Amino acid sequence: MSSEPTFESAQRELEQIVQRLESGETGLDEAIALWERGEELYRFCLGKLDSAQGKIEQLASRVEAARP
Amino acid sequence: MTSIVGVKVEATAYGDRKVFSVSAFNRGIATWLQRLPTVWVEGEVTELKRHPRWQSVFFTLKDPADGACLGVSMPRGQFDGLRLGLADGDRVHAYGRPELYAARGEFRLRALSLERFGLGDHLAALERLKRKLAAEGLFAAERKRALPVWPRKIGLVTGNDAAAKRDVLTGIQTRFPPAHVVVAETYVQGPRAAGAVVDALRRLCEVPELDVVVVARGGGSFEDLLPFSDERLVRAIATSPVPIVSAVGHEQDTPLCDLAADVRASTPTAAARLVVPDLGELHERLERARSGLGRGARRSLELKITRLGQAHERLRRAPALLVERRRAALEQTAGRLQALSPKATLNRGYAIVRAREVIVRSAAAAKTGERIDVEVSDGRFGARVE
Repeated sequence: MSSEPTFESAQRELEQIVQRLESGETGLDEAIALWERGEELYRFCLGKLDSAQGKIEQLASRVEAARP
Repeated sequence: MTSIVGVKVEATAYGDRKVFSVSAFNRGIATWLQRLPTVWVEGEVTELKRHPRWQSVFFTLKDPADGACLGVSMPRGQFDGLRLGLADGDRVHAYGRPELYAARGEFRLRALSLERFGLGDHLAALERLKRKLAAEGLFAAERKRALPVWPRKIGLVTGNDAAAKRDVLTGIQTRFPPAHVVVAETYVQGPRAAGAVVDALRRLCEVPELDVVVVARGGGSFEDLLPFSDERLVRAIATSPVPIVSAVGHEQDTPLCDLAADVRASTPTAAARLVVPDLGELHERLERARSGLGRGARRSLELKITRLGQAHERLRRAPALLVERRRAALEQTAGRLQALSPKATLNRGYAIVRAREVIVRSAAAAKTGERIDVEVSDGRFGARVE
Protein backbone atom coordinates (compact mmCIF):
# COMPACT_ATOMS: atom_id res chain seq x y z
CA MET A 1 0.00 0.00 0.00
CA SER A 2 1.13 3.55 -0.72
CA SER A 3 0.92 6.27 1.86
CA GLU A 4 -2.44 7.39 0.45
CA PRO A 5 -5.07 6.94 3.17
CA THR A 6 -8.02 4.65 2.63
CA PHE A 7 -11.47 6.12 2.25
CA GLU A 8 -12.37 4.73 5.65
CA SER A 9 -9.45 6.29 7.51
CA ALA A 10 -9.99 9.62 5.75
CA GLN A 11 -13.68 9.60 6.62
CA ARG A 12 -12.89 8.71 10.22
CA GLU A 13 -10.38 11.55 10.51
CA LEU A 14 -12.86 13.98 8.97
CA GLU A 15 -15.51 13.07 11.51
CA GLN A 16 -13.05 13.38 14.37
CA ILE A 17 -12.12 16.85 13.15
CA VAL A 18 -15.78 17.85 13.02
CA GLN A 19 -16.26 16.65 16.59
CA ARG A 20 -13.23 18.56 17.76
CA LEU A 21 -14.31 21.73 16.02
CA GLU A 22 -17.83 21.47 17.38
CA SER A 23 -16.49 21.23 20.91
CA GLY A 24 -15.12 24.77 20.47
CA GLU A 25 -12.12 23.88 22.60
CA THR A 26 -9.54 24.44 19.90
CA GLY A 27 -7.28 27.44 19.55
CA LEU A 28 -7.98 29.74 16.60
CA ASP A 29 -4.92 28.73 14.59
CA GLU A 30 -5.68 25.11 15.31
CA ALA A 31 -9.34 25.57 14.32
CA ILE A 32 -8.32 27.03 10.99
CA ALA A 33 -5.78 24.27 10.41
CA LEU A 34 -8.39 21.64 11.30
CA TRP A 35 -10.94 23.20 9.00
CA GLU A 36 -8.47 23.21 6.10
CA ARG A 37 -7.52 19.61 6.80
CA GLY A 38 -11.19 18.68 7.01
CA GLU A 39 -11.94 20.25 3.63
CA GLU A 40 -8.99 18.41 2.15
CA LEU A 41 -10.26 15.10 3.56
CA TYR A 42 -13.76 15.87 2.27
CA ARG A 43 -12.44 16.48 -1.24
CA PHE A 44 -10.36 13.31 -1.04
CA CYS A 45 -13.33 11.19 0.03
CA LEU A 46 -15.62 12.72 -2.57
CA GLY A 47 -12.98 12.09 -5.22
CA LYS A 48 -12.79 8.47 -4.13
CA LEU A 49 -16.54 8.07 -4.40
CA ASP A 50 -16.74 9.73 -7.79
CA SER A 51 -13.70 8.19 -9.42
CA ALA A 52 -14.10 4.54 -8.39
CA GLN A 53 -15.06 2.44 -11.38
CA GLY A 54 -17.17 -0.67 -10.95
CA LYS A 55 -15.71 -3.83 -12.39
CA ILE A 56 -16.58 -7.49 -12.60
CA GLU A 57 -13.86 -9.82 -13.72
CA GLN A 58 -13.63 -13.56 -14.01
CA LEU A 59 -10.83 -15.32 -12.22
CA ALA A 60 -8.46 -16.17 -15.06
CA SER A 61 -8.84 -19.89 -15.64
CA ARG A 62 -11.95 -21.87 -14.94
CA VAL A 63 -11.49 -23.99 -11.87
CA GLU A 64 -11.06 -27.63 -12.71
CA ALA A 65 -11.80 -29.62 -9.65
CA ALA A 66 -9.17 -31.65 -7.94
CA ARG A 67 -10.26 -35.23 -7.74
CA PRO A 68 -12.31 -35.87 -4.66
CA MET B 1 6.94 -69.62 -17.46
CA THR B 2 7.39 -65.92 -17.41
CA SER B 3 5.80 -63.20 -15.33
CA ILE B 4 3.44 -60.26 -15.64
CA VAL B 5 4.22 -57.80 -12.83
CA GLY B 6 5.49 -60.58 -10.65
CA VAL B 7 2.74 -63.13 -11.41
CA LYS B 8 4.08 -66.30 -13.06
CA VAL B 9 2.20 -67.01 -16.29
CA GLU B 10 2.86 -69.48 -19.13
CA ALA B 11 4.07 -67.86 -22.31
CA THR B 12 5.17 -69.13 -25.68
CA ALA B 13 8.41 -67.88 -27.10
CA TYR B 14 8.59 -66.84 -30.78
CA GLY B 15 12.22 -66.02 -31.15
CA ASP B 16 12.86 -63.33 -28.57
CA ARG B 17 9.14 -62.39 -28.30
CA LYS B 18 7.14 -63.85 -25.42
CA VAL B 19 3.45 -64.22 -26.17
CA PHE B 20 0.64 -64.94 -23.70
CA SER B 21 -2.59 -66.68 -24.48
CA VAL B 22 -5.68 -64.62 -23.64
CA SER B 23 -6.52 -67.05 -20.89
CA ALA B 24 -3.04 -66.88 -19.38
CA PHE B 25 -3.02 -63.10 -19.60
CA ASN B 26 -6.39 -62.82 -17.88
CA ARG B 27 -5.38 -65.27 -15.19
CA GLY B 28 -2.17 -63.32 -14.62
CA ILE B 29 -4.05 -60.04 -14.25
CA ALA B 30 -6.72 -61.69 -12.10
CA THR B 31 -4.08 -63.11 -9.78
CA TRP B 32 -2.36 -59.74 -9.50
CA LEU B 33 -5.65 -57.94 -8.74
CA GLN B 34 -6.25 -60.29 -5.84
CA ARG B 35 -3.37 -58.62 -4.03
CA LEU B 36 -5.25 -55.35 -3.78
CA PRO B 37 -6.89 -54.56 -0.44
CA THR B 38 -10.56 -54.82 0.42
CA VAL B 39 -12.20 -51.38 0.42
CA TRP B 40 -15.54 -49.59 0.78
CA VAL B 41 -17.03 -48.06 -2.37
CA GLU B 42 -20.04 -45.75 -2.42
CA GLY B 43 -22.45 -45.49 -5.32
CA GLU B 44 -26.00 -45.85 -6.57
CA VAL B 45 -27.32 -49.31 -7.40
CA THR B 46 -28.50 -49.81 -10.99
CA GLU B 47 -29.15 -52.79 -13.26
CA LEU B 48 -29.60 -55.23 -10.40
CA LYS B 49 -29.72 -58.81 -11.76
CA ARG B 50 -30.64 -61.69 -9.53
CA HIS B 51 -31.54 -65.18 -10.65
CA PRO B 52 -32.34 -68.15 -8.38
CA ARG B 53 -30.04 -70.40 -10.38
CA TRP B 54 -27.08 -68.03 -10.31
CA GLN B 55 -24.40 -68.25 -7.68
CA SER B 56 -24.03 -64.48 -7.59
CA VAL B 57 -26.13 -61.41 -8.00
CA PHE B 58 -24.87 -58.67 -10.29
CA PHE B 59 -25.41 -54.96 -10.31
CA THR B 60 -23.71 -51.77 -11.37
CA LEU B 61 -22.61 -49.08 -8.94
CA LYS B 62 -22.95 -45.64 -10.46
CA ASP B 63 -21.28 -42.46 -9.32
CA PRO B 64 -24.11 -39.88 -9.08
CA ALA B 65 -21.69 -37.05 -9.83
CA ASP B 66 -20.40 -38.04 -13.23
CA GLY B 67 -22.03 -41.37 -14.06
CA ALA B 68 -18.83 -43.44 -13.72
CA CYS B 69 -19.79 -47.12 -13.44
CA LEU B 70 -18.41 -50.16 -11.66
CA GLY B 71 -19.72 -53.71 -12.11
CA VAL B 72 -20.29 -55.54 -8.85
CA SER B 73 -20.86 -59.21 -8.14
CA MET B 74 -21.88 -60.59 -4.78
CA PRO B 75 -22.53 -64.15 -3.56
CA ARG B 76 -26.29 -64.62 -3.82
CA GLY B 77 -26.63 -66.19 -0.36
CA GLN B 78 -24.94 -63.23 1.30
CA PHE B 79 -26.93 -60.73 -0.75
CA ASP B 80 -30.24 -62.38 0.11
CA GLY B 81 -29.24 -62.69 3.77
CA LEU B 82 -28.96 -58.88 4.07
CA ARG B 83 -32.62 -58.41 3.00
CA LEU B 84 -31.88 -54.88 1.83
CA GLY B 85 -34.75 -54.82 -0.67
CA LEU B 86 -32.67 -52.60 -2.95
CA ALA B 87 -34.17 -50.70 -5.85
CA ASP B 88 -32.52 -48.78 -8.67
CA GLY B 89 -31.00 -45.51 -7.47
CA ASP B 90 -30.53 -46.59 -3.85
CA ARG B 91 -27.25 -45.46 -2.44
CA VAL B 92 -25.04 -48.12 -0.90
CA HIS B 93 -21.62 -48.73 0.53
CA ALA B 94 -20.13 -51.94 -0.90
CA TYR B 95 -17.24 -53.65 0.87
CA GLY B 96 -15.14 -55.74 -1.50
CA ARG B 97 -12.05 -56.14 -3.61
CA PRO B 98 -11.38 -55.68 -7.32
CA GLU B 99 -11.45 -58.82 -9.42
CA LEU B 100 -11.18 -59.80 -13.04
CA TYR B 101 -13.73 -62.26 -14.37
CA ALA B 102 -11.15 -64.21 -16.31
CA ALA B 103 -13.54 -65.92 -18.74
CA ARG B 104 -14.67 -62.55 -20.14
CA GLY B 105 -11.83 -60.25 -19.17
CA GLU B 106 -14.30 -58.13 -17.20
CA PHE B 107 -13.15 -56.04 -14.30
CA ARG B 108 -15.52 -55.66 -11.37
CA LEU B 109 -15.85 -55.40 -7.63
CA ARG B 110 -16.40 -58.62 -5.73
CA ALA B 111 -18.57 -57.46 -2.87
CA LEU B 112 -18.49 -59.26 0.46
CA SER B 113 -20.87 -56.95 2.22
CA LEU B 114 -23.33 -54.23 1.36
CA GLU B 115 -24.94 -51.44 3.39
CA ARG B 116 -27.52 -48.90 2.55
CA PHE B 117 -26.26 -45.36 2.90
CA GLY B 118 -29.13 -42.96 3.26
CA LEU B 119 -30.07 -39.58 4.61
CA GLY B 120 -29.81 -40.76 8.22
CA ASP B 121 -26.23 -41.86 7.70
CA HIS B 122 -25.35 -38.55 6.08
CA LEU B 123 -26.89 -36.68 8.98
CA ALA B 124 -25.05 -38.78 11.54
CA ALA B 125 -21.74 -38.31 9.71
CA LEU B 126 -22.41 -34.59 9.51
CA GLU B 127 -23.21 -34.37 13.20
CA ARG B 128 -19.98 -36.20 14.10
CA LEU B 129 -17.96 -33.85 11.91
CA LYS B 130 -19.73 -30.83 13.37
CA ARG B 131 -18.89 -31.91 16.93
CA LYS B 132 -15.29 -32.61 16.02
CA LEU B 133 -14.75 -29.25 14.32
CA ALA B 134 -16.58 -27.40 17.08
CA ALA B 135 -14.31 -29.09 19.64
CA GLU B 136 -11.33 -27.76 17.68
CA GLY B 137 -12.81 -24.27 18.02
CA LEU B 138 -13.33 -23.76 14.30
CA PHE B 139 -16.76 -22.22 14.85
CA ALA B 140 -15.81 -20.11 17.88
CA ALA B 141 -17.14 -16.56 17.98
CA GLU B 142 -13.71 -15.11 18.77
CA ARG B 143 -12.42 -16.41 15.43
CA LYS B 144 -14.92 -14.29 13.50
CA ARG B 145 -13.41 -11.29 11.79
CA ALA B 146 -15.13 -8.01 11.00
CA LEU B 147 -15.90 -7.37 7.34
CA PRO B 148 -14.18 -4.41 5.67
CA VAL B 149 -16.39 -1.33 5.21
CA TRP B 150 -14.94 -0.55 1.82
CA PRO B 151 -13.37 -3.69 0.27
CA ARG B 152 -10.93 -2.93 -2.50
CA LYS B 153 -11.85 -6.15 -4.29
CA ILE B 154 -14.56 -8.68 -3.51
CA GLY B 155 -14.19 -12.36 -4.35
CA LEU B 156 -17.23 -14.39 -5.34
CA VAL B 157 -17.25 -18.19 -5.41
CA THR B 158 -20.34 -19.49 -7.15
CA GLY B 159 -21.75 -21.83 -9.76
CA ASN B 160 -21.27 -20.77 -13.37
CA ASP B 161 -24.80 -19.71 -14.20
CA ALA B 162 -26.39 -19.75 -10.82
CA ALA B 163 -29.19 -17.44 -9.76
CA ALA B 164 -27.13 -17.00 -6.59
CA LYS B 165 -24.35 -15.43 -8.65
CA ARG B 166 -26.75 -13.03 -10.34
CA ASP B 167 -28.31 -12.07 -6.99
CA VAL B 168 -24.95 -11.29 -5.40
CA LEU B 169 -23.68 -9.29 -8.37
CA THR B 170 -26.92 -7.33 -8.76
CA GLY B 171 -27.04 -6.66 -5.03
CA ILE B 172 -23.48 -5.39 -4.97
CA GLN B 173 -23.79 -3.21 -8.04
CA THR B 174 -27.06 -1.64 -6.96
CA ARG B 175 -25.78 -0.71 -3.56
CA PHE B 176 -22.26 0.19 -4.50
CA PRO B 177 -21.65 0.71 -8.23
CA PRO B 178 -17.87 1.22 -7.88
CA ALA B 179 -17.41 -2.31 -6.48
CA HIS B 180 -14.72 -4.45 -8.03
CA VAL B 181 -15.75 -8.11 -7.99
CA VAL B 182 -13.60 -11.08 -8.95
CA VAL B 183 -15.76 -14.08 -9.78
CA ALA B 184 -14.50 -17.65 -9.46
CA GLU B 185 -16.90 -20.13 -11.01
CA THR B 186 -16.76 -23.67 -9.72
CA TYR B 187 -18.82 -26.77 -9.31
CA VAL B 188 -21.22 -26.21 -6.46
CA GLN B 189 -22.79 -29.66 -6.54
CA GLY B 190 -21.60 -33.24 -6.56
CA PRO B 191 -18.50 -34.90 -5.14
CA ARG B 192 -16.12 -32.61 -7.02
CA ALA B 193 -17.68 -29.45 -5.63
CA ALA B 194 -15.89 -29.39 -2.27
CA GLY B 195 -12.43 -29.67 -3.83
CA ALA B 196 -13.37 -27.17 -6.51
CA VAL B 197 -14.60 -24.59 -4.01
CA VAL B 198 -11.47 -25.04 -1.88
CA ASP B 199 -9.36 -24.49 -4.98
CA ALA B 200 -11.37 -21.43 -6.03
CA LEU B 201 -11.01 -19.95 -2.54
CA ARG B 202 -7.28 -20.51 -2.49
CA ARG B 203 -6.84 -18.87 -5.89
CA LEU B 204 -9.08 -15.94 -5.01
CA CYS B 205 -7.06 -15.29 -1.86
CA GLU B 206 -3.99 -14.91 -4.04
CA VAL B 207 -5.58 -11.98 -5.92
CA PRO B 208 -3.93 -8.76 -4.69
CA GLU B 209 -6.12 -6.31 -2.73
CA LEU B 210 -8.91 -8.84 -2.31
CA ASP B 211 -10.46 -7.97 1.06
CA VAL B 212 -13.47 -10.28 1.38
CA VAL B 213 -14.96 -13.37 -0.25
CA VAL B 214 -18.59 -14.37 -0.70
CA VAL B 215 -19.37 -18.05 -1.13
CA ALA B 216 -22.83 -18.21 -2.69
CA ARG B 217 -25.02 -21.10 -3.66
CA GLY B 218 -28.77 -21.16 -3.98
CA GLY B 219 -31.06 -23.58 -2.25
CA GLY B 220 -31.00 -27.27 -3.01
CA SER B 221 -31.69 -30.65 -1.56
CA PHE B 222 -29.90 -31.79 1.54
CA GLU B 223 -27.56 -33.85 -0.63
CA ASP B 224 -26.96 -30.95 -3.04
CA LEU B 225 -25.64 -28.91 -0.14
CA LEU B 226 -23.48 -31.68 1.32
CA PRO B 227 -20.25 -30.45 -0.33
CA PHE B 228 -20.60 -27.29 1.76
CA SER B 229 -20.25 -29.41 4.87
CA ASP B 230 -17.18 -31.17 3.54
CA GLU B 231 -14.36 -31.13 6.07
CA ARG B 232 -11.79 -29.77 3.62
CA LEU B 233 -14.09 -26.96 2.57
CA VAL B 234 -15.07 -26.08 6.13
CA ARG B 235 -11.43 -25.97 7.19
CA ALA B 236 -10.47 -23.88 4.17
CA ILE B 237 -13.15 -21.35 5.07
CA ALA B 238 -12.16 -21.23 8.73
CA THR B 239 -8.49 -20.68 7.91
CA SER B 240 -8.95 -18.32 4.96
CA PRO B 241 -6.64 -15.28 5.10
CA VAL B 242 -9.52 -12.96 4.20
CA PRO B 243 -12.94 -12.77 5.87
CA ILE B 244 -15.62 -14.94 4.29
CA VAL B 245 -19.37 -14.46 3.99
CA SER B 246 -21.27 -17.68 3.50
CA ALA B 247 -24.57 -17.54 1.62
CA VAL B 248 -25.34 -21.18 1.00
CA GLY B 249 -28.82 -22.66 0.73
CA HIS B 250 -31.90 -21.19 2.34
CA GLU B 251 -32.45 -19.78 5.79
CA GLN B 252 -33.29 -23.17 7.32
CA ASP B 253 -30.22 -24.93 5.90
CA THR B 254 -27.11 -24.77 8.00
CA PRO B 255 -24.25 -26.36 6.12
CA LEU B 256 -21.09 -26.44 8.22
CA CYS B 257 -19.46 -23.79 6.03
CA ASP B 258 -22.01 -21.33 7.47
CA LEU B 259 -20.65 -22.01 10.95
CA ALA B 260 -17.02 -21.63 9.91
CA ALA B 261 -17.54 -18.43 7.89
CA ASP B 262 -16.94 -15.04 9.52
CA VAL B 263 -20.47 -13.97 8.70
CA ARG B 264 -23.46 -15.98 7.57
CA ALA B 265 -25.90 -14.37 5.16
CA SER B 266 -29.43 -15.74 4.86
CA THR B 267 -29.52 -15.13 1.10
CA PRO B 268 -27.11 -14.12 -1.67
CA THR B 269 -28.76 -10.68 -1.76
CA ALA B 270 -28.17 -10.29 1.97
CA ALA B 271 -24.52 -11.25 1.40
CA ALA B 272 -24.22 -8.40 -1.11
CA ARG B 273 -25.54 -5.94 1.48
CA LEU B 274 -22.94 -7.15 3.96
CA VAL B 275 -19.85 -6.78 1.82
CA VAL B 276 -20.30 -3.32 0.34
CA PRO B 277 -21.33 0.03 1.82
CA ASP B 278 -24.33 1.91 0.45
CA LEU B 279 -22.97 4.55 -1.90
CA GLY B 280 -25.92 6.88 -1.25
CA GLU B 281 -25.40 6.61 2.50
CA LEU B 282 -21.68 7.26 2.10
CA HIS B 283 -22.44 10.45 0.17
CA GLU B 284 -24.92 11.58 2.80
CA ARG B 285 -22.54 10.88 5.63
CA LEU B 286 -19.78 12.75 3.84
CA GLU B 287 -22.01 15.78 3.22
CA ARG B 288 -23.12 15.72 6.87
CA ALA B 289 -19.49 15.70 7.95
CA ARG B 290 -18.76 18.60 5.65
CA SER B 291 -21.58 20.78 6.90
CA GLY B 292 -20.47 19.85 10.40
CA LEU B 293 -17.02 21.02 9.44
CA GLY B 294 -18.29 24.45 8.34
CA ARG B 295 -20.54 24.74 11.39
CA GLY B 296 -17.75 23.65 13.69
CA ALA B 297 -15.27 26.09 12.23
CA ARG B 298 -17.79 28.95 12.46
CA ARG B 299 -18.68 28.04 16.00
CA SER B 300 -15.04 27.88 16.96
CA LEU B 301 -14.54 31.36 15.51
CA GLU B 302 -17.69 32.83 17.07
CA LEU B 303 -16.64 31.54 20.44
CA LYS B 304 -13.28 33.22 20.00
CA ILE B 305 -14.94 36.51 18.99
CA THR B 306 -17.25 36.43 22.00
CA ARG B 307 -14.36 35.78 24.33
CA LEU B 308 -12.36 38.56 22.69
CA GLY B 309 -15.30 40.98 23.12
CA GLN B 310 -15.60 40.07 26.77
CA ALA B 311 -11.89 40.56 27.30
CA HIS B 312 -12.01 43.93 25.57
CA GLU B 313 -14.91 45.08 27.72
CA ARG B 314 -13.07 44.14 30.85
CA LEU B 315 -9.97 45.90 29.59
CA ARG B 316 -11.95 49.08 28.92
CA ARG B 317 -13.40 49.07 32.39
CA ALA B 318 -10.11 48.32 34.05
CA PRO B 319 -8.84 51.94 34.74
CA ALA B 320 -12.13 53.14 36.24
CA LEU B 321 -12.27 50.01 38.28
CA LEU B 322 -8.78 50.69 39.54
CA VAL B 323 -9.66 54.26 40.68
CA GLU B 324 -12.82 52.97 42.33
CA ARG B 325 -10.87 50.41 44.24
CA ARG B 326 -8.26 52.95 45.35
CA ARG B 327 -10.96 55.33 46.48
CA ALA B 328 -12.68 52.66 48.50
CA ALA B 329 -9.40 51.70 50.12
CA LEU B 330 -8.69 55.33 50.93
CA GLU B 331 -12.08 55.84 52.51
CA GLN B 332 -11.62 52.79 54.58
CA THR B 333 -8.28 54.09 55.82
CA ALA B 334 -9.84 57.47 56.53
CA GLY B 335 -12.51 55.75 58.58
CA ARG B 336 -9.93 53.91 60.58
CA LEU B 337 -7.99 57.17 61.07
CA GLN B 338 -11.15 58.88 62.29
CA ALA B 339 -11.67 56.17 64.83
CA LEU B 340 -8.24 56.76 66.24
CA SER B 341 -8.63 60.60 66.49
CA PRO B 342 -9.14 62.16 70.04
CA LYS B 343 -11.99 64.18 68.55
CA ALA B 344 -14.44 61.44 69.33
CA THR B 345 -13.32 61.46 72.98
CA LEU B 346 -13.79 65.26 73.19
CA ASN B 347 -17.31 64.79 71.82
CA ARG B 348 -18.12 62.69 74.82
CA GLY B 349 -17.28 65.74 77.12
CA TYR B 350 -13.59 65.29 77.80
CA ALA B 351 -11.14 68.23 77.38
CA ILE B 352 -7.46 68.56 76.63
CA VAL B 353 -5.57 71.01 78.83
CA ARG B 354 -2.34 72.60 77.61
CA ALA B 355 0.07 74.85 79.49
CA ARG B 356 2.67 76.57 77.32
CA GLU B 357 1.50 74.27 74.47
CA VAL B 358 2.34 71.16 76.51
CA ILE B 359 -0.45 68.79 77.52
CA VAL B 360 -1.02 68.85 81.26
CA ARG B 361 -1.10 65.27 82.40
CA SER B 362 -0.97 65.73 86.21
CA ALA B 363 -2.31 68.19 88.78
CA ALA B 364 1.22 68.90 89.96
CA ALA B 365 2.08 70.26 86.52
CA ALA B 366 -0.50 73.07 86.91
CA LYS B 367 0.89 76.07 88.78
CA THR B 368 -1.50 78.45 90.47
CA GLY B 369 -2.11 81.65 88.49
CA GLU B 370 -0.75 80.18 85.29
CA ARG B 371 -2.67 80.68 82.08
CA ILE B 372 -3.78 77.45 80.36
CA ASP B 373 -5.54 76.48 77.15
CA VAL B 374 -8.58 74.21 77.28
CA GLU B 375 -9.64 72.36 74.11
CA VAL B 376 -13.15 70.92 73.91
CA SER B 377 -14.97 69.34 71.02
CA ASP B 378 -15.88 72.51 69.18
CA GLY B 379 -12.92 74.83 69.98
CA ARG B 380 -10.56 76.30 72.57
CA PHE B 381 -10.78 78.81 75.35
CA GLY B 382 -8.30 80.25 77.88
CA ALA B 383 -8.40 79.82 81.69
CA ARG B 384 -6.31 80.55 84.76
CA VAL B 385 -5.31 78.00 87.40
CA GLU B 386 -6.48 78.87 90.96
